[in-house]
Amino acid sequence: MFGRSEAVKKSSKLAYEENPEKVERAEVVVGISSCDSAAFIGHTAEQAAKGLVDYFGSKNSVLINVDSDSGDRTKEIFLGTTTRVPKVYLCTPAGIKGRGHKLINLVNKAAELKAEAVIVVDAASKSITPLWIKNLGEPIFSGFSFVTPLYLRHKYEGILTSGIVYPLTRVLYGRRVRQPNGGDLAFGMALAETYLRHPTADEKSIQQAGVDVWMTTMAINQGVPICQSYVGRPKMQGSPDGVMPQISAFVDVVGTVFDLMGFFQERWKKVRWSKPTAVFGFGMGEPDAPPPLEVSEADLYRVFLQGFSQYQSLWESLLDNKTFSKLTEIKHLPVAHFSFPSELWARIVFRYTVAHRNRVTDRQSLLESLLPIFHGKSLSFVKKTERMSVQQAEEYIENECMIFEEMKSYLVADWQENQ
Amino acid sequence: MAKILVVDDEEHIRLLYSEELREEGYDVITAEGGYRLLERIEKERPDLVVLDIKMVDYDGLDLLQDIRNKFYDLPVILSTAYDTFKEDMKSIAADFYVVKSFDLSELKRKIKMALEARTSA
Repeated sequence: MFGRSEAVKKSSKLAYEENPEKVERAEVVVGISSCDSAAFIGHTAEQAAKGLVDYFGSKNSVLINVDSDSGDRTKEIFLGTTTRVPKVYLCTPAGIKGRGHKLINLVNKAAELKAEAVIVVDAASKSITPLWIKNLGEPIFSGFSFVTPLYLRHKYEGILTSGIVYPLTRVLYGRRVRQPNGGDLAFGMALAETYLRHPTADEKSIQQAGVDVWMTTMAINQGVPICQSYVGRPKMQGSPDGVMPQISAFVDVVGTVFDLMGFFQERWKKVRWSKPTAVFGFGMGEPDAPPPLEVSEADLYRVFLQGFSQYQSLWESLLDNKTFSKLTEIKHLPVAHFSFPSELWARIVFRYTVAHRNRVTDRQSLLESLLPIFHGKSLSFVKKTERMSVQQAEEYIENECMIFEEMKSYLVADWQENQ
Repeated sequence: MAKILVVDDEEHIRLLYSEELREEGYDVITAEGGYRLLERIEKERPDLVVLDIKMVDYDGLDLLQDIRNKFYDLPVILSTAYDTFKEDMKSIAADFYVVKSFDLSELKRKIKMALEARTSA
């Protein structure tokens, strides 16, 4: 266990703590991340507490609500929920939002409590059950250091992950972690020092939505045992954002993956092919089917086409002639016959990683200019998988990942030649 | 020389795989089921396992879980006559799968990739 360092204090954005039961030690910490989550946090706290009592009853445990300056009654409802597990409330300073700030607050507090395992869930995970706590936490006490979730999701949910974050993380670091940006996770405290001291911890995108993929990437590159844990029922967010990610989330998450490529370049350039990751938590019975999710092909198509008016000259300068001309060909396809080849998508993503490293334009504009192309790729995914089951769509994603892996030599060569 | 353990309850498959993989320069050992498989792996230390999914007495996907839990980084290639196993999420813990065939070129390619992945990271 490590002591609190200057680096730890520097990363912290804690303004307020309420610890009514004066908890000083806890072996298992469940952190519930929230922001204006009054409608959900009571249920999440009850389920998480039940999970701690049912499955970690012999250990000292605590529920910590890591909040980011909620304007509603999140704090009152959390602290007022009756549980058999003590509760602590932590909050960022006024006006400081961002998931990364909250998770760093959680890691700091867990270190102070000398915790062995930290489980993170989202207050808006309406489908959480006590088994989630078991399945996320138990691998930590079985020798794993980092646990990511495996959900049975609708094939169009989490499209940012399946379309770019998963394939890119997998091709770079050679580990198949299906939800590197999952939001529900667990880690052992051996990783806490990495999270608090790493030089990238103060990056803006990591303090926001990039924190989850950052934590996963850190764990992979630390070489610690990683496990994927099946949490069964579909994840149902309290406030669904629709199929496509918001611009800020896209910039934070994809930008974080791109940023870390520079930091870990000596490692990922050597990686050939990928390896699977251990899986934990089967035997939960038959999962429910994912809830239906509407997707507007017309909207995806419209945003893709709009990208040409806004970014055509930038794309032309970034991409090689063959790639740009193929992209332009796709522009003329009608929605009914729309198809975006996976090889082209991989080539564009790889080119963007090099452009990002070379700072060919300002970071925000560069990342935003990738989003319309991503909409085009997503439209193609929706069309190709529309008659597929969830499992068949997963197989399709796996095949796309293999295309990324087969084209990795192109990325390595481009990265080295265009320094 | 990489050592490969072929686990299959059909003798002709064990013979076919052994012969062809030896010709590729691999050291091949075989097992006809899951009985004491983990002990065997512990003792023989193979570099890769080719595992049949549907054996008379054993479920290959359960064996895969056992192998993955004990030997975290040992590559496992599932060998199957059926595609339906993909419905079971346990199968994602495998490095690759191949459909059984007398043409082993796909199996050989996947073995090469899995062994390269093991040594490159």
